[in-house]
Amino acid sequence: MQTLSSTAASATRTTGAYLEIDGVTKVYPSARGAHTVLDGVDLSVAEGEFVCLIGHSGCGKSTLLDMVSGFRQPTTGEVRLNGERIIDPGPDRMVVFQNYSLLPWLSAYDNIALAVNNVFPELQRNGQAKAIVEEHLAMVGLSEAAHKKPGSLSGGMKQRVSIARALALKPKVLLLDEPFGALDPITREELQEELLKIWADHRVTVLMITHDIDEALFLADRVVMMTNGPAATIGEVLELPFARPRVRARLLEQPEYFDLRNRALDFLYRRYAHDDE
Amino acid sequence: MPALLTVDNITQAFPLKNGGTYVALKDIFLQIAEGEFVTLIGHSGCGKSTLLDLLAGLTLASEGGILMNGQEVTEPGPDRMVVFQNYSLLPWKTVRQNIALAVDNVMPKLAKAERREIVERNIKLVKLTPAADKYPAEISGGMKQRVAIARALAIRPKLLLLDEPFGALDALTRGNLQTQLMEICQEAKVTAVMVTHDVDEALLLSDRVVMLTNGPEAYIGQILDVPLARPRSQLTAVEDPTYYGLRAEVVTFLNQQRDARQQRLKPKGAVACGALEKVNLEIGFVPLTDCAPLVMALEGGFFARHGLDQVRLRRETNWKTLEANLRQGVVDAAQMVAGLPFAMTLGSQGRSPVPITSALTLTRNGNAITLHRRFHEAGVRTVADLKAWISANPGHRPVLAMVHPASMHNLMLRAWLASAGIDPTSDVELIVIPPAQMVATLKAGTIDGFCVGEPWNSRAVQEGHGTVIATDTDLWDGHAEKVLGVREDWAAAHPYTHQALLCALLEACRYCEDPANRQELAELLARPDYVGTRADVLLPGLAQAYDRGTGVPTLIPGYNRFFGPGVNAPDRAEATWILTQLARWNVCSFPRNWEEVLDRVQRPDLFGEAAASLGLAPEPPHTTASPKGFFGAEQLDPCDPAAYVQALQQEPPLRIEAVVLPPPPSRRPVAAT
Repeated sequence: MQTLSSTAASATRTTGAYLEIDGVTKVYPSARGAHTVLDGVDLSVAEGEFVCLIGHSGCGKSTLLDMVSGFRQPTTGEVRLNGERIIDPGPDRMVVFQNYSLLPWLSAYDNIALAVNNVFPELQRNGQAKAIVEEHLAMVGLSEAAHKKPGSLSGGMKQRVSIARALALKPKVLLLDEPFGALDPITREELQEELLKIWADHRVTVLMITHDIDEALFLADRVVMMTNGPAATIGEVLELPFARPRVRARLLEQPEYFDLRNRALDFLYRRYAHDDE
Repeated sequence: MPALLTVDNITQAFPLKNGGTYVALKDIFLQIAEGEFVTLIGHSGCGKSTLLDLLAGLTLASEGGILMNGQEVTEPGPDRMVVFQNYSLLPWKTVRQNIALAVDNVMPKLAKAERREIVERNIKLVKLTPAADKYPAEISGGMKQRVAIARALAIRPKLLLLDEPFGALDALTRGNLQTQLMEICQEAKVTAVMVTHDVDEALLLSDRVVMLTNGPEAYIGQILDVPLARPRSQLTAVEDPTYYGLRAEVVTFLNQQRDARQQRLKPKGAVACGALEKVNLEIGFVPLTDCAPLVMALEGGFFARHGLDQVRLRRETNWKTLEANLRQGVVDAAQMVAGLPFAMTLGSQGRSPVPITSALTLTRNGNAITLHRRFHEAGVRTVADLKAWISANPGHRPVLAMVHPASMHNLMLRAWLASAGIDPTSDVELIVIPPAQMVATLKAGTIDGFCVGEPWNSRAVQEGHGTVIATDTDLWDGHAEKVLGVREDWAAAHPYTHQALLCALLEACRYCEDPANRQELAELLARPDYVGTRADVLLPGLAQAYDRGTGVPTLIPGYNRFFGPGVNAPDRAEATWILTQLARWNVCSFPRNWEEVLDRVQRPDLFGEAAASLGLAPEPPHTTASPKGFFGAEQLDPCDPAAYVQALQQEPPLRIEAVVLPPPPSRRPVAAT
């Protein structure tokens, strides 16, 4: 169908690399000699771009994400954000994990407030922190649940709190490590739609790990497919031509959708089929 | 095949704390044949796991019962093994010991060596020999689930019950295990019932997908046969041209259930206004050039002019979904392929009859038959050439696609093939796929041609994948193509709204017919809410010369007809043709009470009222049969269609039977306005 337009897709990015993963290799010493997890990964992400990483377990996706967040360092090569080498974690790169990582004894509001107060102590002093927390709770539709603790929130609501907490710190890059993997399919689709809206409103750059091909095709500008480890690297990159804003039902009508889906399946199940032993 | 398992009208209710009861499942009837793989799919709370527990004998039904090989299932037994999502392995025992424990317990009478042999064989079956001495904590989730499967199979159950076995694994690991499970089931020749909420998983593994509605009182909403060839893999499955159509059916079902739940939470009532019983209408359509009257009625203000100021057009990508939505009252009215009102009224393909009223023909013509370009290159210009091609290429049975069994596309394509001596059931393979997927499927090479409305023929021509071998103006100029359909009970309950709808659409049809408006029409239709394509793909035939891809484009007058004498009134003679052809191609049996069926479905009286209120001249009685007779059925006498049906030499002989229609709803008379 002709609703595709490459201009609409590329309008969401500016030109030039913003986040650069440059010749990154990660080697761990082990009893049986050096173990290479990632071997020569090169990836340039433009500002405001939404990139999904997909690959079998053990392909080093999470290791790669850790090097962008600064929790780990590459053995060789480097990761740069806005030209600056990433050497440690920082609030300009926030990570959302599958397991939410909320403090169970704090309310949704306090979980977010804690992060905001830590990162922006001056806002706490001048009283603006409250407005930021409330704005981000509203963004994920949780104003009414602000004072509930994680134990009385559903999985989808917990993940909304995590996303609100991450974005309240105004990160340049949002790193998502399979954020919806633990949710039921309906909640997952709802959160995917919300995430796209938030991404479009906040103009944040997103790097997201997923195992779900349909999720990647719905969300991303590009889908980066990793080969199997050890010594994993980028095998193929799919450029998605779908116009935004995207409507799931409309996407499923586009012949290109199925072409791309089949290409991803072919990569993951034929060319880089994987046994889980 | 005899049923291994019969779920005989089960109802399952649980007591609630407040003294009430919760009915989880209501009247479930299901038969499962030996060796079959059946999946149960539905949203959380639909009772899938309750049903699985009943099959396992873990709980007993409140009403009804389960028979396995003629024996009632009353308790758990080793002939029915369950595999759960959480593996349930003993952590202090190795892979081998976990399996051996089950075998030793269930088969104590076997010699030790024999039991050991069973354990080893099953470890090998799930390819875990190298990990046999590892403990559960030392192996991956996927491997743990294979141990659980091996343990279940080792005690040779007749029935393997799987409760979301791969739900805890990531989507890609799941893929590998699905392939292995298929191989294992095939090798162990076991019957399997699996609960899942993964649509791709269900299609890949199943012979049938049983779709459950939302609880409470969940029931089987639909059963989908999955005719994909075996052995299957993720890749061969998606490469089958019918795959994404099947997938869409399950996805649509699940979406409908989700919508139904949301609607139940905040129901949308009828908004009445003045004499109109309801002005907030949902109208279903399929994105094709000939949805133009609906789009124009909305965008051009014709609905609003007749008081229908809250109309929403609901876009459906395939006719089956649209049919289901009308059946369930999700939509008030729908654009329909011309045979659909009859097929729904007669209750084709195992569905219960739902009488449909049709008082307006929206469009005539507008279809074409496109073949892959290589046929033109091989010299195929006519249906006779196609016949010759088929005879000359015995190993290549062409696969042709159409959009719905009750569409004119199916009926005319078959009649066209048969006219040249091509047997539509054996010389070619006819499959149903949604219109928007035609071009991509043709391009992928999995079909050889199709019969569909525009813009899909023009799109195939413009992209160079196909050429048009015939337009329907070549075959039967002036046949009814799309009609307006509403449920008969809806028409009876909303007589004024129905009249307003007919008037608005008839005016829109008149607007669409005017050549001066066709460019505007194409631009409107091009919008993503409607057809969602470039306007220039919509223009051939509608406003410009028609390009068949085989030479200079030519003007085809009346390629899309929306209005004019004899265009919009329901045509009784034409309807007899449709009834006979639906029978001829085994879509429905021919109703002995065909006159009653025509009287119930077609309402020229309602059309007449609408036309009169718009000041249009009354339609003369007429017939769209061409001078040489009906297309592909020249000997049909519309006053005696049964004689034609009886004369068709077909094996097995065609059934002519009285179809019992539900009693007509009482009609409220419409006062003259």
